[in-house]
Amino acid sequence: MTRPRIDPRASRTEQRVASGENGRRRYDLSSRTASNPIGPPRRDPRQEWAASLIDRPGRRRYDRSQRPVARGGASNVEAARVGSAAEAVSTEPTVRIIEEPAFLVFAFVDAPGGRLSRFDRQVLGGARLLADAGGGGGAVVAIVAEEIDGLGAAGADRVMSLPTNGSASARAAALRAAIETHAPRHVLFAEDGDAADCARRLSVALGEPLFSNVEHLTARQVVRPNRGRRAELAAAPPRLMTLGEDRAKMHAGAPGEARPLEFETAPSDDQAILSVEIIPGDPARLALSETDFVVSAGNGVTDFEGFRELAALMKGTPGASRVVCDAGLMPRGAQVGASGTVLAADCYFALGISGAPQHLQGIAACEQVIAVNTDLHAAMIERAGLAIVQDAQLVMPALIKLLKERQS
Amino acid sequence: MKSVVLLSDARHPVSGRAVLSRLEAQAIGLGTALGGTLTGLHAGDCEDGVQESLGHGLSALDILSLPPEADPVSALTDFLKAQKADLILAGRRGEGGFDSGLLPYALAEALGLPILADAVALTPGEATDTLVVDQALAKGARRRVTVRLPALVTVHPLAPAPLPFAFGAMRRGTIRRHVAEAADASTDPVEERPYRARPKLMRTSSATASAENLHVGPEPEEAARLILDYLESNGIRRYG
Amino acid sequence: MTPAAFLPWLVVAMVAVAAVQLGRRVALWRSGRPAKVDWVAGLKALPKRYLVDVHHVVDRDKSASRMHVPVAGGLVAASGLLVLGLIPALAASQLYWAVVTLAFLIMAAGVVLVGRRRYPRAMKRLSLGRWQRFPVYLGAFALGGILTSALAAFGNPVPAIAFLTFVVAAAGGLMLAYEVATGPMRHALAGATHLVAHPRAARFEGSRETGLRPIDLEGDKLGNETPQDFAWNRLLSFDACVQCGRCEAACPAFAAGQPLSPKHLIADLAAAQAGGHARPYAGMPYPNERPVAGSAGLHARIVSPEGMIHPDTLWSCTTCRACVEECPMMIEHVDAIVDMRRFQTLELGAIPLKAEEPLGHYRGCDEPNGRALSERTDFAAGLSLPRIAETGETDILLWLGQAAYDLRGQRTLRALIQTLNAAGVEFAVLGAEERDCGDLARRLGDEATFQRLARQNIATLSAYRFRRILTADPHALHVLRNEYPAFGGDFPVIHHTAFLSELIAEKRLSPASLAARAITYHDPCYLGRYNGETEAPRSLIDALGLERREMARSGKRSMCCGGGGGAPSTDIPGDTRIPDIRMSQARETGASVVAVACPQCTAMLEGVTGERPDVKDIAELVWEAVQAGSKATASTSAARELEPA
Ligand SMILES: Cc1cc2nc3c(=O)[nH]c(=O)nc-3n(C[C@H](O)[C@H](O)[C@H](O)COP(=O)(O)OP(=O)(O)OC[C@H]3O[C@@H](n4cnc5c(N)ncnc54)[C@H](O)[C@@H]3O)c2cc1C
Ligand code: SF4
Ligand code: SF4
Repeated sequence: MTRPRIDPRASRTEQRVASGENGRRRYDLSSRTASNPIGPPRRDPRQEWAASLIDRPGRRRYDRSQRPVARGGASNVEAARVGSAAEAVSTEPTVRIIEEPAFLVFAFVDAPGGRLSRFDRQVLGGARLLADAGGGGGAVVAIVAEEIDGLGAAGADRVMSLPTNGSASARAAALRAAIETHAPRHVLFAEDGDAADCARRLSVALGEPLFSNVEHLTARQVVRPNRGRRAELAAAPPRLMTLGEDRAKMHAGAPGEARPLEFETAPSDDQAILSVEIIPGDPARLALSETDFVVSAGNGVTDFEGFRELAALMKGTPGASRVVCDAGLMPRGAQVGASGTVLAADCYFALGISGAPQHLQGIAACEQVIAVNTDLHAAMIERAGLAIVQDAQLVMPALIKLLKERQS
Repeated sequence: MKSVVLLSDARHPVSGRAVLSRLEAQAIGLGTALGGTLTGLHAGDCEDGVQESLGHGLSALDILSLPPEADPVSALTDFLKAQKADLILAGRRGEGGFDSGLLPYALAEALGLPILADAVALTPGEATDTLVVDQALAKGARRRVTVRLPALVTVHPLAPAPLPFAFGAMRRGTIRRHVAEAADASTDPVEERPYRARPKLMRTSSATASAENLHVGPEPEEAARLILDYLESNGIRRYG
Repeated sequence: MTPAAFLPWLVVAMVAVAAVQLGRRVALWRSGRPAKVDWVAGLKALPKRYLVDVHHVVDRDKSASRMHVPVAGGLVAASGLLVLGLIPALAASQLYWAVVTLAFLIMAAGVVLVGRRRYPRAMKRLSLGRWQRFPVYLGAFALGGILTSALAAFGNPVPAIAFLTFVVAAAGGLMLAYEVATGPMRHALAGATHLVAHPRAARFEGSRETGLRPIDLEGDKLGNETPQDFAWNRLLSFDACVQCGRCEAACPAFAAGQPLSPKHLIADLAAAQAGGHARPYAGMPYPNERPVAGSAGLHARIVSPEGMIHPDTLWSCTTCRACVEECPMMIEHVDAIVDMRRFQTLELGAIPLKAEEPLGHYRGCDEPNGRALSERTDFAAGLSLPRIAETGETDILLWLGQAAYDLRGQRTLRALIQTLNAAGVEFAVLGAEERDCGDLARRLGDEATFQRLARQNIATLSAYRFRRILTADPHALHVLRNEYPAFGGDFPVIHHTAFLSELIAEKRLSPASLAARAITYHDPCYLGRYNGETEAPRSLIDALGLERREMARSGKRSMCCGGGGGAPSTDIPGDTRIPDIRMSQARETGASVVAVACPQCTAMLEGVTGERPDVKDIAELVWEAVQAGSKATASTSAARELEPA
């Protein structure tokens, strides 16, 4: 391998957060560690072009078909190493403390399942940007419903916990009280789920306009689409805003302090709501269109008993290519692709799938792709973020074994 | 049970043509499955798109004629007060107008109704005048809320697909037109200009990321370890 | 009176019974919708239609034509002669009886041939039940007839035996007559009437007109729900079916194990008219048959789990017309299917969800993939592709079609455009003004969308001047050429294979030889069968010097790729996939390349996994050869320049 190796165990241990009383292990996966200093090393496009320059007289020709790994040469690696070492020294986490904030920016954090989602981080990142606007000195207050890790790293200076009893209107009422008390300059929500709901309740309750679905956020201006994306509206950032997904960068600078900010409200009750019950999603039975992680089998898989066991152990939703569904080895509903289901999942794990165009159409939105295939030149290997050229029949039992080990 | 589906003046994202919003078509599907009478309600000046709702399962449609830029909330409130509907269904946000998604909330406030967002399934409650609403949460989780009717419910895209369109049914459906009093729209302090598409943050990992992560012929155990570590370090799943 | 003297009366009785029985069917037909029929022309054309068109199809199965001529001929001759026997003078003539015997002998010989097709074991595609008993009745009538009339010819030496043989003949003959309403004999009269009153009579003149009539969108009921909604001559056509199973043997959906058999479908439609719950069908069931309750009748809904035909059956059809091509009775299965789909789609909205998607896109943005019309020419960035709006006229108007949105289709179109440029053809495209032709909408039964698109496209086309429309998509070709005229759009349309072979014939292109490659050509249904164009693509392949190997099914009898009729979007599950079957047929030829001439075929055949021949559009092959040709001339001219002056 040409890149510095990351020892995940080591970096994991380093990321462990000293957590107090309950003794549960907690990790701050966003923090950088010595053994995993920066995540993927930076690209140097100049270097890459130079590396792909074909050594031939006459006109310059580049061969970009090969991956840099094949041609990168030592210089590339050196550059990466040097770069990473340098950064590792400079980013010794120094918590940034804002003692007397000039103003507050509220960021509504949904954190489904108690974990910050990418979208949550983007909302916090957007709030950070607004808090640092102008002369800066603003503080980001994360509005949460339960205790959540990694808020500091995501850019929060304060954390305000507004408990919920499951009622959206009660939560909105509490937030309204908080807004009236603390008078934040901005309140930023995600344009999704409960956050979007709460934003609208507040807008109506406060009688204040909501600038929804912001697609472009800077300190001076926010822009949102209008009239079905035929027009857009621009304004100076108002108080209430919801942010579109993938529209603001996550916070990457020094971590905030995430100091608790106490706020007491009398819980209100919604007379019309008679009962509330949360039904957790079961990945095994989830619709493909809804799941966040799909474990998928193609023509290269022969042991489907094993495959189903693996998908269950991995807590993924089982999927398949059309060939497999046609053969009746998996149900039709499991088909991923143009004529099956188009996924919205974060991660796609493809076992023995070649990656035909019709299939790839179905996974276009997946951020993380893992491929196991015997063919180095399969399109799926090309598409994957982690590509393993190996027999799926060997990898599956090894995975099952490892998963069982880790579970016990 | 008497239900009303609010229909917005939606535009097709590609052609800009007036169409029925898919979400509202899904709302019709949910309402139809509940049974009882279901009608559509639109306040505005354009009938082309909303009349499609008649082909997706509505038998009748009320249209409150309003000038294009008028604020529909007061007209809708007046009409709905007279209707005494048990359930008002709506999409999440309009697609084609001001698109802020505030209308259902403003309406709920004006009518004094509870509002529940993001429904994917509706079933009648055990007690009369109650409704069980399944709200979509992240990762396939659901929040099952029992609410006392009347109520306003907005629909989530994960609700079942709309009933297929039937041209003949659209032609036969009833459209009732009403004159409505136009309230002045609040003037926006914001600047409107032609839309400019802005790139979203990249989601797919770049080709270079795969370059460092290409492993040719690793031992199966090593491959398994690599996969689980990748999943854990990307925060997809945690094992053990 | 000798027993033989009763024979003429037997025939009279048979005719009477048959008339009564047939009257019941005629009453059913008459309850269908009215249809315009040119009786005089039909009657005049009957002999030709029967002797040429029908025989041409029947003769593909030699055992069928060999048996049908003597059986039908013998039966008609013997019966005709016997009616003459009502004249006492003739009945007294022994010579007359000898002639009658001869006619019966001919018939008997035919019956033996019929029997050989069914006993000891019937051919797989044939129906059993009534159809299996049919030769027995025929045999009884023929044998009884032979013996009775032969005895009469010899002066009736043993009346007792003659009486016995007459009873046998009478039993067989009366059974034949009795079965006219529901049994095999129905085909004779219904078939003949069908030939006269054929709903797509122009097909006998080689016309490619469509059998799909535009429906009045303001009408009370859109599409066909019950047997009564069919035109009367369509109802009649279902009765003409002889359950020979040729259509079934040719049907790609049947072969792939999807729940469709055109033969079963036609039998169901015939049975649906009469009502009742039984399905007196003794052929092979629909593959993976979906259960139906089977309620029937002139006013009963045909397509429904409660009715005669399950919706999945209807949505399995690729509209490839292989069944139509094979049917000796000239039945138009596809039109019936589309008429029933229209009701499902337009009135019930009962269409498979996956197929509703493209229809929704059509309604939203005139394009089944939901793409913007303005993006249609995006693929051609860097190519010279003039818009007709710039000049208002051109020689050749290039219709791009859906392929312009598909990566694979774009490769073909790019090759075609480059070839046109190389040949110096004056052409242009509509650009963003080109809406989808509406083929998919029409096949899926969405006539409302189709008519809207047709009218809008015709309005656009009429605004410009051009000589011909050129397209690489046979579906667009068929719709523009044969279905737009009904809406007032008469445009000359040419397929790219025909056009390219013109260019080569005119020497405007000089392709090099691509020898040493074995090629097999897959005929697109909408080009070969629908439009009879099977020669141009072959002549192109030959002109490129390629070794052409034919698949067992080719030309007008080619097998579908599975891509037509919206079948890829309705996606009714079967045992295998149609393209897999077709590809294995291509593989059998040992060719290294399957040449295609349709973007849909390309997509379907390229979707086949495993070792297989490459799939190349003929336009790509031609462009390859043209490039090779220009390189060759360039190098020879370069060589010449090097020679000292
Ligand atoms: C109109 C149309 C629509 C379509 N829609 C879809 C769709 O929606 N979804 C879809 O999936 N397909 C669709 N297809 C089919 C698609 O074109 C491909 O045929 C299909 O996706 C291939 O599936 P596959 O990758 O599993 O099989 P293959 O292409 O056969 O690939 C198998 C892969 O497994 C690898 N392999 C073999 N053995 C092993 C082993 N032991 N270990 C690891 N790897 C191994 C091989 O190297 C190969 O890359 C469609 C096709 C058409 C024409
Ligand atoms: S058109 Fe083709 S698919 Fe349809 S019934 Fe006839 S042979 Fe079968
Ligand atoms: S429809 Fe035609 S081809 Fe099919 S069984 Fe009947 S007669 Fe034969």
